[in-house]
Amino acid sequence: MFKKILIANRGEIARRVMYTCREMGVATVAVYSDVDRNAVHVLEADQAVLLGDAEPAASYLNIDKIIAAAKETGAEAIHPGYGFLAENADFAERCEREGLTFIGPPASVIRELGDKTVARQTMIKNGVPVIPGMTHPESDPEAIAREADRLGYPVLIKAAAGGGGKGMRVVQAQPEIREACLSAASEAASAFGSGSIYLEKYLARPRHIEFQILADRYGTIVHLLERECSIQRRHQKIIEETPSPAMTPELRERMGMAAVAAARASGYVNAGTVEFLLDTDGSFYFLEVNTRLQVEHPITEMVTGLDIVRHQLLIAAGEPLTLVQEEIRGRGHAIECRIYAEDPEQGFYPSPGRITCLKEPSGPGIRNDCGVYAGFQVPVEYDPILSKLIAHAESREAAIERMIQALSSYVILGIRTAIPFLIDVLRSEAFVAGETFTDFVTAHFADWKPERSDTDLARIAYIIDDLAGRRKATVSSAGAGVPLSPWQSLGNWRR
Amino acid sequence: MQYRFKTSEEALTFGAEPVEENRLKVATGEKTLDVRYAVIADHHVHCVVEGVGINAFITGEKGEKTILIRGVPYLVQDADMTVQSRKGARDLKTLPREITPPMPSVVVRIMVAEGDPVQQGDGVIVLTAMKMETTLTAPFPGRVAGINVSVGEKVMPGKILVNIEKEPEDTKPT
Repeated sequence: MFKKILIANRGEIARRVMYTCREMGVATVAVYSDVDRNAVHVLEADQAVLLGDAEPAASYLNIDKIIAAAKETGAEAIHPGYGFLAENADFAERCEREGLTFIGPPASVIRELGDKTVARQTMIKNGVPVIPGMTHPESDPEAIAREADRLGYPVLIKAAAGGGGKGMRVVQAQPEIREACLSAASEAASAFGSGSIYLEKYLARPRHIEFQILADRYGTIVHLLERECSIQRRHQKIIEETPSPAMTPELRERMGMAAVAAARASGYVNAGTVEFLLDTDGSFYFLEVNTRLQVEHPITEMVTGLDIVRHQLLIAAGEPLTLVQEEIRGRGHAIECRIYAEDPEQGFYPSPGRITCLKEPSGPGIRNDCGVYAGFQVPVEYDPILSKLIAHAESREAAIERMIQALSSYVILGIRTAIPFLIDVLRSEAFVAGETFTDFVTAHFADWKPERSDTDLARIAYIIDDLAGRRKATVSSAGAGVPLSPWQSLGNWRR
Repeated sequence: MQYRFKTSEEALTFGAEPVEENRLKVATGEKTLDVRYAVIADHHVHCVVEGVGINAFITGEKGEKTILIRGVPYLVQDADMTVQSRKGARDLKTLPREITPPMPSVVVRIMVAEGDPVQQGDGVIVLTAMKMETTLTAPFPGRVAGINVSVGEKVMPGKILVNIEKEPEDTKPT
């Protein structure tokens, strides 16, 4: 096993990787940018190296600086987390060349799967069903418009180089397609460094279902069951759960086999996620493989009892997988809510700023993977994720209730979060009934505002706070029992 | 002691009368409530209102505070302290008349040129903040009178990015 690894990421995921490292006796090196000097991942690492300016290109996306930091600190391996360089084949290749172990799949696999159009070709060749659409990227909006006419609207523009909803646009009709192409390409270019895009037929009401896989270097591949991630806003997941309310043992068997086949077809090694869309008629389509640790991996850890990061490290160190597919069982139900700095009453617009007060929820079956603390300034430069709240209980019903209670007791002040929105989603009839499709938020929560039934209580709290503030002011000016020095009590006597 | 709170309609007056240490009688206008309370920490008060306990978490300045109760934030504004300072900002939020970023952003693309006619809702400028692109649209029909920024520029809320001259409503063709 490695003695020391570098974590090329920030926030909650860097911290989460460190937890496992500490348990395994692996020393950790954090890297950070100017604005993250006091970020939680810096505070908790054994060593930390400053990369540079806040701008990602000068810090968390700067391959040269990260490699240099690993060399300087004597780290043997690099864990990329998710986002930033996690799915950057050049980075993985550079690590390999520099004699550093990249904790993830080989560069060639990342490259092949990272190009969504090449991945589609691989899957078609290996009999894994894919969504109708293009198998080659295109940069000419005119050519894309012609292809859209052929497929029939609505269509979905996607970035060939990445996921996470960046560079993705649903286009309902022809007049919108050119502007959508331009804006998708420019968003993709700034997020992934490549503006190439392609087109898929847009499925109106699918579920997003993905399978966690683990593959060692010796050809053993297992899947760790499914996750359903249909609740999204702006094509970005906000609530994930496992098992999926739509799953049957028979469908799980078939999709699990397809996931393992997809991993095998691409020569996959380490932890990865095979994403599918499940249509209302029960047919499923390969979407993409995420060649990294997924944001929502904790729900799988909760139901399977496995530590995915531990397996990532073991696989990267060359250990064979000892897990057997038949022995992997899910227990109970787990739900994750992503807590972003965003304002659900203003179209989920990011809400950066200083956190004035933070109180994390706790209780049976509650896990909060948190990357911030009270007093922390949430920077504008990065993805606004603050934490991931996970609830695990014996049934879906119990997990929902547990999550609602945890969200209600989660205190984050100074910035806005979607917590009140998440509570209402979990309480909604549609969610409780398991009617979770990717159009969930627009279908049920388009003009959402929280129900504000405690306004009088809030005003009472205001009054109490005001009175307490006045008393504190009086107390401190009277010295609060501390004798004043003549310098204080004399005031401006010299004038 | 009296507090006047802002609401969407008329200001609402609450009366607060200390009964004993950490106990108030609060008159909400509709009813009078018995409130016992304890200040737990800087941002945390626990109160028992008519026998029911509740935790409230408070942040903000004098005159305007955000109170979090059961996961839901409430913006409570003192009508006597916030009238002048906040009015402009509020109006801007509810009725955007100008093209200004809602938060610190970077200009990605300018979709119009000086002199261009625009319809209400037309995309004018594309900004990126925290890795997400957002298009700001024309708040009313008119003509682009000036572009005050360039691509790549960092912009702050309040800065007018593009001037749009309102189309005079009753001009007759000459």
